[in-house]
Amino acid sequence: MEMNPQQIQDRAREIQERIVPQIEEARRNLVDLNTRVVSFIRANPGTCLIGAIAAGFLIGKLASRR
Amino acid sequence: MTTFQNAQDNGSHSSGDNQGFGQRVDQIGSEAQQLWSNARSAVSDLGQTLDIKGRVDRNPYGMMAAALGVGYVLGGGLFTPLTGRILKLGVRLAMLPFVKDELLGMAETALRGYEAGHASVGGQSGAAGIGTSPRTGGPGTIS
Repeated sequence: MEMNPQQIQDRAREIQERIVPQIEEARRNLVDLNTRVVSFIRANPGTCLIGAIAAGFLIGKLASRR
Repeated sequence: MTTFQNAQDNGSHSSGDNQGFGQRVDQIGSEAQQLWSNARSAVSDLGQTLDIKGRVDRNPYGMMAAALGVGYVLGGGLFTPLTGRILKLGVRLAMLPFVKDELLGMAETALRGYEAGHASVGGQSGAAGIGTSPRTGGPGTIS
């Protein structure tokens, strides 16, 4: 398959136009998720801390068992 | 606090014993109440000193990571191969900023060398191509 630079450039531009909106959408989703997670942690600090300690405890138990 | 009182008073000696018992119950009750209030104030003082809510407000992910680490240590995962792997990964990630500049410099040098080599090859082929027949897969096409 032979492609000249113009074709490569066109193809790259086409891929960019297709991918950039998806990346932007993913970025917006991640920012939204981060905001929700942070607000949840701030609203329930005790629950989250105890849950994190329990999760760490389980991971430590699993790691020490191997 | 309620005071223990005997409804039937059978003699002075028995009454004195009951009063002593009641006083002791009273004393134990008041001491228990004082202990409870002391414990509550100690817990509230500890909470104010640690300022857990404020810390979580300021740095939620850091506090979650710290709690995860505390749980990991409590779970007995400190002296395990997983800890070694995590530490190795952490050291590598910490070294990355120091190595990054050097890697970028090496990549730039390699790119310049590649460009210089490509230009010299192109110049030679252009000079050799004068007066010769054109090639089928000449410059401008990439296969």
